[in-house]
Amino acid sequence: MAHGQTSYRIGEVTGLTNLSADTLRYYEKIGLLPPVQRTASGLRVYDERDLSRLRFIQRSQKMNFSLHEIGTLLDMREDPQHARDEVRQLTLHKLSDVEQRLQELTTLRTELQLLVNLCQGSEQGCPIIESIDESGNSKSD
Amino acid sequence: MVMRLELFSAPNCNRCGQAKRVVADVVDELGTDRISVRVVNVVEEIDYAVKLGVIATPAIAVDGTLAFTGLPNARALSEALSARLAAHKDDSCA
Repeated sequence: MAHGQTSYRIGEVTGLTNLSADTLRYYEKIGLLPPVQRTASGLRVYDERDLSRLRFIQRSQKMNFSLHEIGTLLDMREDPQHARDEVRQLTLHKLSDVEQRLQELTTLRTELQLLVNLCQGSEQGCPIIESIDESGNSKSD
Repeated sequence: MVMRLELFSAPNCNRCGQAKRVVADVVDELGTDRISVRVVNVVEEIDYAVKLGVIATPAIAVDGTLAFTGLPNARALSEALSARLAAHKDDSCA
């Protein structure tokens, strides 16, 4: 990809997003992407806006949002000032989901950081891992 | 009201023994009747340690809030505890 490139063939988009060409065409078919521009020979040409939508879709899928919900959120993303009440409600609900996940991830990060530091700080092995091993053994005894 | 100090420790933690001695000395100085001390083994109470944000041992929490990570020197610990004891006193007078 050249620096400053603003249009992309479908093969380039699959490389940038790790989405398959079939998936890209499907997203267009169900309206998650607006009709993609075409060259004179009919080849799809994606722009930065399309890529931005695709990245949003990918992030939302990692949060297990449904494609229907993602479509609604994309509408909100296009025109946030004029979103319908139910769209605003969904967005608020999803924001709450994200904040909860963030809290869980923060807790997990702290726990993993503690484990790493405990193992690094010990000259006689890793107390956490040994403790887990011991409890595993006692369960199987 | 007695102030609650928790020292987070772990088996084989190199500096936790030293931290325990520093804590014991400082608490003796400030008054064992004013500060309760509990040693928390993070291996056994990892959820509680994580909840308070402990990412390494030794660590010290005061009244349920993480106050020191790493081995504090006696002076810094003494000053922090004295300030909190003073605040406790103000609260109980109010």
